[in-house]
Amino acid sequence: MKLKLTVLLLALWSVKTLAQSPTDGLLMQKRQWCNVLQYTNSSWSEYWEGTNKRSNLNLGTVTNQSVLLMSAYGITNKLNVMAALPWIRTGSSASYLQGQSGIQDFALWLKWQAYEIKMGSSALKFQTTGGLSIPASQYQTDFLPFSIGLKCKMASLRGIVHFTTAKGWYATAQAGHSWRSDVKINRDAYIYNNQLIYGNRVPTPNFFDATLRLGILRPKFQAELWAERGACLSGDDIRYNEGPMLTNKMQATSTGAWAKYWITRQFAVSAGGAYVLQGRNVGQSTAINGGIFYMFTL
Amino acid sequence: MKQIPLYILITLFVATACNKTPENPTIAPYAETKLDENGGTWKTYILADGSEIPVPAPNAVASDAYKTELEQLKTVMSNATESDKEAVQFWGSNGTLRWHEIARELAANYNVPPNYNADGTYPLPDANNPTAYPRFPFANPPYASRAFALLAVAQYDALVTAWKAKFEYNRLAPYKNDSGITPLLPTNDLPSYPSEDAVVAAASREVLKFLFPGEVALLDERSTEHKNSRLWGGMNVQSDIDAGDSLGAAVAKRIIAYAKTDRMGAANKQADYPLLKADATARGFTAQWESVDIPARPPMLPFFGNVKPWNFTDDQKIALRPAAPYLPGTPEFEKDYQEMQDIAKNRTNEQFRIATYWADGAGSYTPPGHWNRKAAELILDNKWNEIRAARAMALMSTAVQDAGILCWHTKYYYLTQRPTTVDRDIKTSTGIPNFPGYTSGHSTFSAAAAEVLAYLFPSNASELTAMAKEASESRIYGCIHFRIDCEAGLDSGKKVGNFAVERGKNDGSE
Repeated sequence: MKLKLTVLLLALWSVKTLAQSPTDGLLMQKRQWCNVLQYTNSSWSEYWEGTNKRSNLNLGTVTNQSVLLMSAYGITNKLNVMAALPWIRTGSSASYLQGQSGIQDFALWLKWQAYEIKMGSSALKFQTTGGLSIPASQYQTDFLPFSIGLKCKMASLRGIVHFTTAKGWYATAQAGHSWRSDVKINRDAYIYNNQLIYGNRVPTPNFFDATLRLGILRPKFQAELWAERGACLSGDDIRYNEGPMLTNKMQATSTGAWAKYWITRQFAVSAGGAYVLQGRNVGQSTAINGGIFYMFTL
Repeated sequence: MKQIPLYILITLFVATACNKTPENPTIAPYAETKLDENGGTWKTYILADGSEIPVPAPNAVASDAYKTELEQLKTVMSNATESDKEAVQFWGSNGTLRWHEIARELAANYNVPPNYNADGTYPLPDANNPTAYPRFPFANPPYASRAFALLAVAQYDALVTAWKAKFEYNRLAPYKNDSGITPLLPTNDLPSYPSEDAVVAAASREVLKFLFPGEVALLDERSTEHKNSRLWGGMNVQSDIDAGDSLGAAVAKRIIAYAKTDRMGAANKQADYPLLKADATARGFTAQWESVDIPARPPMLPFFGNVKPWNFTDDQKIALRPAAPYLPGTPEFEKDYQEMQDIAKNRTNEQFRIATYWADGAGSYTPPGHWNRKAAELILDNKWNEIRAARAMALMSTAVQDAGILCWHTKYYYLTQRPTTVDRDIKTSTGIPNFPGYTSGHSTFSAAAAEVLAYLFPSNASELTAMAKEASESRIYGCIHFRIDCEAGLDSGKKVGNFAVERGKNDGSE
């Protein structure tokens, strides 16, 4: 299993990094079980208020740290099940607001290789991933940018096209859509698009993401470059000099690099970095991560 | 490649993308059973009484002019579109409260503190250039409290005058005079000249234009729709509307004249703030409040405490001022300080929830707006008519502004610190307002509001008192206030509310 850093606006105003194998082109073989522990540090000092880029002395630098536990298992060579559970801590260098920490959302995916075309020593694979996630603790949601998540339930569906050569070079393109549930907040009125809404149910925008990656996969190592676009499909903008809200139309285009090295047949280490090139209602974050892999066959 | 999942995905996206815009619940119009025939004699606030502004006599029901109006009304009704009929239902629930809803939305939209300039100063909103950044007004809690009070008083004084004319001329609604007119709203025997809805629309529109001068187009549009809804619904003829509009606008003029002299104009006199600091120092309050905003923001409306109160005199205000809070170093202070440290370290989810529920900070309709909404909900639950709704809103809103005046006076008299000013390690769960701690605004506003509402809705008294207490304690849970700020605020707010209750008991409505 390959675990890579991607920038997904899964939950946070600050673009957060999360290891994501549901979006790559690789599969575990039957009975192979891979477990990952990954640390990510992501921070930003500038953000987009709508499309207006700014800094804020009252926030300083906002930092998110996460520890992700992830597991993938090959039910068959063409069908994998995956699960993830992140712990997140947020904080800032300047704000008097209390940083938050806790377990975020539990996610479960099924990934299936539907079709494969062999072209000599190369191959073209078509895969699809479906997933569900639910909040795994009673964290604060209406407290952006310090909330550890949006606290919505989410279902996702994606298609993946994966091309490989005999020497291990590969190119992967994927696109996915995430459906998000309403969220219940502690207030019973909020502003949406300059309209006062009376109620505590907040619709969180659905989300689209697409990734392109180029890399090499060899028996001892893997390395890749990637670019990604993630975008809420509806929502409003952060108003000038106001705080962010769950309804905001968060969007980002980001890029990064990632590599993994197998120390033994069972243990590997990984490292990666990511940077947001352009965004809307998100922080321009820079992230680094490091992970440990442990794989065995049942 | 399996195309099916992608097709499903696209179909689902199209199906679900449209329902992501939150919507407000509808409020059903109701039959107002009680007419309050003596409403024209109720005690007014700014007007001398309900006959100060004369309302010209209408055309008689038997006159040709009135009969022509009835025919014109039938034409207007038959041309009404579906969206016109929706407007009839929207405004038919309670026009007085719809205008408070508009005021709450404006308050929320304008409750944004200006961003700092590059040189570390802060720009000031300018009433003469309201749409330029930073927009005028910055509808902070004191500003909002005054806005709700002026709106409520304008509506109330205008409706008392309207009621006087209604029962003097006694011209009934068009559907009572012509069986060919089928109204779209519940009916009653209230005389329809002048139209109470047009009175409320005009009084509200003009006062809100004064308070939110950048919103003239919106307010004109809402007022026009409100008035037209009465024609589309067959509730008024045009002359009912025209007389109501003139009356409402005339009353608003009087209220605006009052507002121009209520000393709000000097409430933000930052140049004199050092004098307040020197006075507090001379009284022994040396550990003084400082802004925690970066860069430090000038204090919010340091002289709002001098604004003219509605229900008591300036001297009575001084007498109402809570006693001095205990100072740092005393055992009482250390106990409150310890409580802040404990909560900051170990805030429970329930404490967080309460602090957030009542925060009503930047971008919200403010604590006065929270109580304005509660009052409106109680009025709707009890199906009160327009004049009784306006009286309730006026009694409560004037008390809430009075609470703000006393509270601001107290804050800048003692200039005490907030928990985070004392200790930067006390982290909060909501924004820290930019003014001194003692007494808590939330506590004072809430106790005053709850006291008046408990008088108006005695069967809800215990719920209302509990709400005020929770609003007060929410500031402790958020680490926004020391406990003494909240307790003194609750106590003085209750006393402020009592002045409005006394007025209510003697305004001729009981």
